[in-house]
Amino acid sequence: MQPFLIQLLNGVQLSMLVFLLAVGLTLIFGLMNILNLAHGAFFTMGAYFGLVVANNTGSFWLALLVGPLLPFAAGFILQFFVLQPLAQRGRSTHLDLALLTFGLLFATAGAVEYIFGSAFHSIVTPDVLMGRVALLGIEYPIYRLFIIAIGIAIAVGLILVIDRTLVGATLRAGVDNREMVTALGINITFLFALVFGFGSALAGFAGVVSAPVMSIYSSMGIGIVVTTFVVVVVGGLGNLKGSFYASLIVGMTDTFAQAYLPEAELFAIYILLIAVMIFRPQGLFGAVGRVA
Amino acid sequence: MSADVMLTSERRAGAMKPLPLPASRRAYAALLVTIGFGLCALPSFVSGYVMTLAVEVMIAGIFASGINLLTGYTGLVSLGQAMFLGFGGYGIAIGTALLGWPLWISAPVTLVVVAAIAAPIGAICTRTRGVEFLLITLAFSQMFYGAAIKLRWTNGSDGMTGIPRPDLSLLGMSADNPTVFYYYVLVVAVLSLLMLWRIVTSPFGSVLVGIRENERRMMSMGYAVANYKVGSFALAAVICAVAGILQSQYTYFVNPDAMSWQMSGEGVLMVIIGGANVILGPFVGAAVFVVVKQALSMITEEYNLFFGIFFMLVVAFFRGGVLGSISALIGKRQ
Repeated sequence: MQPFLIQLLNGVQLSMLVFLLAVGLTLIFGLMNILNLAHGAFFTMGAYFGLVVANNTGSFWLALLVGPLLPFAAGFILQFFVLQPLAQRGRSTHLDLALLTFGLLFATAGAVEYIFGSAFHSIVTPDVLMGRVALLGIEYPIYRLFIIAIGIAIAVGLILVIDRTLVGATLRAGVDNREMVTALGINITFLFALVFGFGSALAGFAGVVSAPVMSIYSSMGIGIVVTTFVVVVVGGLGNLKGSFYASLIVGMTDTFAQAYLPEAELFAIYILLIAVMIFRPQGLFGAVGRVA
Repeated sequence: MSADVMLTSERRAGAMKPLPLPASRRAYAALLVTIGFGLCALPSFVSGYVMTLAVEVMIAGIFASGINLLTGYTGLVSLGQAMFLGFGGYGIAIGTALLGWPLWISAPVTLVVVAAIAAPIGAICTRTRGVEFLLITLAFSQMFYGAAIKLRWTNGSDGMTGIPRPDLSLLGMSADNPTVFYYYVLVVAVLSLLMLWRIVTSPFGSVLVGIRENERRMMSMGYAVANYKVGSFALAAVICAVAGILQSQYTYFVNPDAMSWQMSGEGVLMVIIGGANVILGPFVGAAVFVVVKQALSMITEEYNLFFGIFFMLVVAFFRGGVLGSISALIGKRQ
């Protein structure tokens, strides 16, 4: 029972980390219809920027706060100055834009390797979150519980913002009828770029959060972004709540496959994805319209 | 016909016709014969280094041609075609090294098996379209990539060595000789091109282009669109597997990297550089790509950085590709 409980918590922890990535990806796709393959690049950027901050100030909390700023700026610039103009001039389709971000993913990995080398780095866990806590008869690392708490907090916060606030209403209106929102005097292009930056910042945030439990290395984003894609497809592209449930399903599948079926570890989540594709190609939670 | 319609038809000419390059068929044939003679005579007047480059270009060109059938003609952009490149290499490695079959049995069996695997994969993937198709093909290739790293009887991430080149002792030649291997690859490349040309100029090929242009209309005309898409997927897979076989023979080994995500991306990039839905486009794209890659590797070791930047620039500013730009120029002059 106890090993099972540990695996369960590990699964939730991984799910929340993947959710932080998936939610940004799905928000961007849901609003702008852009598949951002470079989402993993923002994860890497956040982690490395956080690492630089942590190394210079010695503060994990400052890293957590400042780390996401670089991916925010990069995401905003990418959408506002590159993707949006290309799409508006009608020269590039959504698929072209997806391929463009694919190039960005590898360019970022290469640039990071150029600057930081190919060594593995890590950010030290802050003192407050060090150690373990007794929980239902097991000892569990506090830091992993912290990750779970952050994931749930962000999920609840985002759903509240999108369902209950004026910003959320504007965004939902922008998805439904972009021209009408523009006609009401709202600069939707700017707003969408902000959302793109915010989604990227969440990915960068995930990068810093994961740093104490996982390693920081130049191609870290390329690996995790594929897991994120599985989540967004299983959850239904552009479906915010779906991406939360799908994160849990994928995170659990991955963790339990690693624990109990090590041979299938590297492809368990893909089998899940294929099963979903056969029976529900629109995703498990894909509704008729987009939710986000 | 109004001037307006003329303009659109002219602009669309490049996208619709399978062979938009030449002003006439005779000019096109003359061009092909010249290229053919040039390629046949190449080994007698260039260095060994240029010949290895030429071999790499032809292998990459076959791989990209497979992607072009799916992406350029059928309009399904896949980021997972490298899995079939890997299947080709692993196929003959398993056939010759593990099962002890001769090459002339292993190779055709590999292609048949690849087609048999690709058909159900295609049936699942083509249930989606657009970016979702891109994601699911990527997921499939990552799955097989993961499996290839894990599987112990194919040596995991080390891969398999000792892949044989064809036995040409009947002709009194050895394929280990670079010049002989060059001609072998050339013959396979020409045969693949001919097969591809037959496919895209056949009624089947027209249906594929129809699906790309307007899937709903093809459906209402009574075509079983789903079957055509699966067919296109399987044929593309077989052509990619041919490239995989050649690649593993060229390097004498195969490892999971052949199935990597980046490899799929490189193939798509070659198709875009050359110009999608032009039959020779992938070979032109492969030539540009291989030369640029070689030049970059002399300047820097940060291959990913430049690959990424190059990729972004091509996608953003060079959508029509080399051949697309040339045929647009010719179109303007006429």
